[in-house]
Amino acid sequence: MTAATTMPDEGAPGLRPTVRAGAGDRRIDAVGYVFVAFFTVPFFLFNILPVFFGIYVSFTRWSIVGTPHWIGLENFTTALHDRWVATAFWNALAYGLIIVPCVTALGLAFALFVNRGYPLSGLARTLFFAPNVVSATVIGLVWVWLLDTQFGLVNHYLGFLGLEAIPWLTSTRWSLVGVSIASVWWDLGLAFVLFLAALQDIPADLTEAALVDGAGRWQRLVFIILPQLRPVLSMIVTLQLISTLRIFSQVYVMTNGGPGGSSSSPIYYIYSVAIVRNLFGYASAIAMLLFVAILVLTLLQRLVLRERS
Amino acid sequence: MAALPHGARRWLEERRMTGLDLPIWLIGMAVALAWAAPFVWMVSTSLKYPSDVMTQDIEWFPRRITFDNYARVFDYPVLRWGLNSLIQAATSTALSVLFGAMAGYALARLRFPGRDALFALFLASLMIPTEVSIIPMLLGFIKIGWASSYQALILPTIGNVFSVYIFRQFFLAFPTEIEEAARVDGAGPFRLFFLIALPLARAPAIAAAVILFTLNWNNFLWPLLVTFDESMKTLPVGIAAFTPVVGTHTQLEGFSVAMAAVTILSVPSLLLFFLLQRYFIQGISQGSIKQ
Repeated sequence: MTAATTMPDEGAPGLRPTVRAGAGDRRIDAVGYVFVAFFTVPFFLFNILPVFFGIYVSFTRWSIVGTPHWIGLENFTTALHDRWVATAFWNALAYGLIIVPCVTALGLAFALFVNRGYPLSGLARTLFFAPNVVSATVIGLVWVWLLDTQFGLVNHYLGFLGLEAIPWLTSTRWSLVGVSIASVWWDLGLAFVLFLAALQDIPADLTEAALVDGAGRWQRLVFIILPQLRPVLSMIVTLQLISTLRIFSQVYVMTNGGPGGSSSSPIYYIYSVAIVRNLFGYASAIAMLLFVAILVLTLLQRLVLRERS
Repeated sequence: MAALPHGARRWLEERRMTGLDLPIWLIGMAVALAWAAPFVWMVSTSLKYPSDVMTQDIEWFPRRITFDNYARVFDYPVLRWGLNSLIQAATSTALSVLFGAMAGYALARLRFPGRDALFALFLASLMIPTEVSIIPMLLGFIKIGWASSYQALILPTIGNVFSVYIFRQFFLAFPTEIEEAARVDGAGPFRLFFLIALPLARAPAIAAAVILFTLNWNNFLWPLLVTFDESMKTLPVGIAAFTPVVGTHTQLEGFSVAMAAVTILSVPSLLLFFLLQRYFIQGISQGSIKQ
């Protein structure tokens, strides 16, 4: 905001011919404020301002038609005693425990495979990344069909192994797993591409030296490649943890949080509190709790990365 | 290996497929093909007669084919939803690429007080999940009477830091000589940017555009919240209601029609990706940001 308001004082800034006078050049391009203003104004209006507005809203009772009514910490104390909040956050943890290891391990395995440069590895790269570019609606509907208890492809092929049909999305026991399977398929592409980029950045002489020293596949992986991948590994784990905390659209499309809240997630619950029950203040308070959780995770990752470097 | 004919063995050796490599390659390619199987099954189901869908037979390639499912998708206002999606994604992408390029250029090339603090703030804002601001933003849009409007769909998606970041990285690494020459010739900063810098930044511009368009095209939560009128829904939100059987959604149609609907929905994203994957993958791995 300040960027936009300080502008008019500067006259026609930056238009005077500025021939660089060596390294000690101290010219100020005030026109830079105009350049950043186009981005900064919507950024403040729609990314920053709503956060502060949301903090205010979380201390009020507010529905779409009504006016705000300040109630202090009541929303937060209610949230801490709301067993559906607890369920949603525990589910988020469960999603994390399933999705994060799967995405990380498979993403790394696929990246190592593609990075070897075998024939058709370009095709493999395309196929591994492709699910990442489609909408949640596509992922959700396709997997509802694949995971159908009676006619789904997954149960059909599990049947070959002599397993009984699993009610993936319609039982309290499996619904969270069903949504996780779809999420892994959807999310893997990002981890895969980030690993691949990091692998390609590993200096070739490192691996070549190891080859000359007679290091085998596993030795090269464990002693050369994995240590080099540590920063990207930490980044992927954090990104993926955060995105599982934010899981929503798959849940909405595939199970509606059910049955019995068994696949609900924090954002799904926020959504239902705001839209279905019209409690905007309460929804904002739960969103704040989620924000704190995400912030803690992000800061933890920063800390871990800094200690290692 | 020894059992292989000589020609085949040489072919493998030329491709450095020795020892364990061949089994690894076979398994890897099988997994890669399996990874695409859900898409194949989606298209395959969309071409089946509804009576052939709910059976225990698995027909990867349907014996009899129909396009009726696609016709039935169009009984719903998908064209309107598609138009909404297109307007939303195109406008928002164009604006965020342009504004992002301008900001990225300024942050990399122009000097003004507060510049680095501003960039630090942009980066720090990435820690704020959009979901925190989404409920208050919805409340705001409702209060000013902009719910279910193009403004509501487009405006909140413009301030995308990814775009700024990718351009800043590009302009930081870009040689300054050309600009210096033009500057000496008396070109102002706007002419410098629009006539010289921006045309040279085609690669990051395409990368950012491809990624942002896909993000916008696929965006789900915000359009779901802010569109109350059926006619203002976007494609992903409209088609989400096609979910058969599970949950408490209204069952609109059977699986065959649902699969036709999601096939239509996924074609633009997949096509864009197949054609421009070089920029896609570059952009993602350089930006390392997914919204």
